Amino acid sequence: MVPPFVYSSIVYASLFAFMALGLTLTYITTKVPNFAYGSFVTVGLYTAYTLIKVYKINPYEASPLAFVLGSAVAVAMYLGILRPLARRGSSLVSLMIATFGVDVGFIGILGIYTDYLQNKFGLPDAKQFFQFQADFSIFGLRGMVLVAPLALAITTLVLYLLLTRTKFGVAMRASVENPPLAKILGINVERVYVTSWFLAGGFAGFSGCLYTLWLPGGTSTGSNLIVEIFASSILGGLTSIFGAVLGGLAIGGSEVGLGTDLTTGFGLPGAMVIAGLSVLAGLYVWRRKGTTKKLLSLFLLGFGVYIILDAALGYPLDFLAPSLVNGFGAEAIEYQKGIPLLIMVVTLLVLPKGLVSLGWGRLIRRRKA
Amino acid sequence: MSLPHLILFGIDWISFGINFANFYALYFAISLTLNLEAGFTGIPNFGKVLFIAGGAAFAGSVSGRVAAYFCALNAPTICTKGGDFITFNADIISQVNGYMTTNPIFTIEIVVLALATAASVGAFLGFLVSYPAIRLREDYLGMLLLASAQFFQIFLRAYGPIVGGTQGIFAPDPFLYFSGLGIGYRDLAAAVAVSGFAVLVYLYAERIARSPLGRMLKAVRDNEDASRALGKNDVAIRRKVLIVASAIAGLAGAFVTFYSGSVGADTWDRFAWTFWPWLIIIIGGMGNNLGVALGALFFTLVTRGLQQAQPFFQPYLPFDPNWLTYLVFATLLILVLMTRPEGILREKPAPTLPQKTLRSIFASAGLEPGVAFPSDKDGGRAKRALSRLRTVLRRKTTSSGPPSN
Repeated sequence: MVPPFVYSSIVYASLFAFMALGLTLTYITTKVPNFAYGSFVTVGLYTAYTLIKVYKINPYEASPLAFVLGSAVAVAMYLGILRPLARRGSSLVSLMIATFGVDVGFIGILGIYTDYLQNKFGLPDAKQFFQFQADFSIFGLRGMVLVAPLALAITTLVLYLLLTRTKFGVAMRASVENPPLAKILGINVERVYVTSWFLAGGFAGFSGCLYTLWLPGGTSTGSNLIVEIFASSILGGLTSIFGAVLGGLAIGGSEVGLGTDLTTGFGLPGAMVIAGLSVLAGLYVWRRKGTTKKLLSLFLLGFGVYIILDAALGYPLDFLAPSLVNGFGAEAIEYQKGIPLLIMVVTLLVLPKGLVSLGWGRLIRRRKA
Repeated sequence: MSLPHLILFGIDWISFGINFANFYALYFAISLTLNLEAGFTGIPNFGKVLFIAGGAAFAGSVSGRVAAYFCALNAPTICTKGGDFITFNADIISQVNGYMTTNPIFTIEIVVLALATAASVGAFLGFLVSYPAIRLREDYLGMLLLASAQFFQIFLRAYGPIVGGTQGIFAPDPFLYFSGLGIGYRDLAAAVAVSGFAVLVYLYAERIARSPLGRMLKAVRDNEDASRALGKNDVAIRRKVLIVASAIAGLAGAFVTFYSGSVGADTWDRFAWTFWPWLIIIIGGMGNNLGVALGALFFTLVTRGLQQAQPFFQPYLPFDPNWLTYLVFATLLILVLMTRPEGILREKPAPTLPQKTLRSIFASAGLEPGVAFPSDKDGGRAKRALSRLRTVLRRKTTSSGPPSN
């Protein structure tokens, strides 16, 4: 019997991978972190909401429209706001605050739209709604458990083929790597950028649409997801499309997985692994210079040794160690949003270029000096 | 009712004015701290709400608990209610407030404690985020600060003992004494206090702007490598600015708690406390404190004006007119960025000598201060005075210069 949180983490991971993929696509073209990206997801969310509540259309069937609407919003934002600003030489901070402004504009638009839904169609839950019971089931599994990862796999494969096997894909990579040179070679860089934003908005709308089948949503859902989306994208290296998929999977999986472990406990073996990892990390940090590094190392070492000793002696100190083994209780699930933030901070400190900068080959075989 | 009649008598102008002053002073102070970070030092603080919320939450929670403890100790006849601070919050705080209105010294002590708590929490949070943040590029830094602020709100909601989660708690109200004087006096007292705070912050920010420190901050902002080559530790400078600005933001948060008499987790969204200050400094002019004052004035006029006008067009709209505020400001921001990115008042180079020194130089040259560009209209008198000034200045620079070998 597979525990339910495994399914949950599969769906979560796939959805975040989609969102991170989109954010990375906007970042690599305009080099601006898009604070309004969460609102693109909300657009998808409300496409699904409107269609199912007003026209009784299933979110799966609504997803193409959500994709198109998300794309339209993203392209409009790029063509209407970011491109003119970038052309007149605005600074990075100005562009960032402009995307923030767009997010604020979305708050207004979504507020007006949901008021309209409430008044016109008498939908009291337009601002905050529960997940829709519209999913199909196959072999006793909910459809999303299959559809979300499958859609992600297909998208990644298509994107891979597009980027490596087609002329347009090569032009796209060239425009991202070196825009002036790509222009010299006669590539229409602008068209590539618009396509990227189109895909980015589409992925956001699509994932937002499917999100409604799994979790409750509302006007602020997208804005609140921004922690996870940023964390996923940064973990993936912020500039790598496939890194983003990897990052999204890692963040989504660990948020649900670790969040569940926090409530039910890691068990004795799990706690020992954490303590061991903490000791190893402490030893690694000890070799670095600087007072703060040494303090951090002492903290990590002390934490690991304390957990091991306390568990070995049968918990003489009733602090942390027993909770780590047996769980912190049901309310700990509230803090699971902290896990992506923690991963983000650690990534920025330890691995600023993300997962893709790891030499995977080197992990397998030692390179000769 | 005709429109002029409505404007004259339909609006309570006094309470509107007090409300306006409170709102203006608060946003002015917060925007000044953001200007110190973003305008002067180039730290894109997209997590301003984190420090305000931190200050507000801990100021309310800690001062409430301490006040309840000492009230029960000093005046057992008034503060009879015991038990958990969060669960019996309303009763405990109403008793504490009753005691505080009779004992001004105790009130002042509690206010000082709340302010100290808010400033230290703000500074601590600033230090905490500065560790990973300061080393990062602008875009990563913005994302990290935004995400941290978002998480802090989730944390406040989830962790009950600070502000009781989404329900919020009441906090000791230091201005309650004034409500005994009549309706509106409490808000007036709050307005005076917040305005005083804002003026202090303005004087501090102006002093920094006019000092060598201010010029160093701008140097770090404009060219990290050059300032590093001149021996400035840009990482340490950024961290210090983040800590100081966050401490002041924490103080502003404490004033929010004082004014509303309560604090919760749901008020701290990034639109009201991060975006509005950003909007103010962008409209007013980044790196210019006077510009921030103008931007805040403009912002307050528009928001308060829209709020006052709301009942008049509410019946004609199929939605809540509040949403229009968001749309108006989003549009305004984009327009300002496109047409006048430097804001109303652009950044000016700061004077390199203190006013006092300048005045003494002017006086020794026999010139009125402020006559910088003399014309020929007065028969060349001003021109002659200027040349005298030049001689004095030359003498001054040679005498105070470095000793030659």
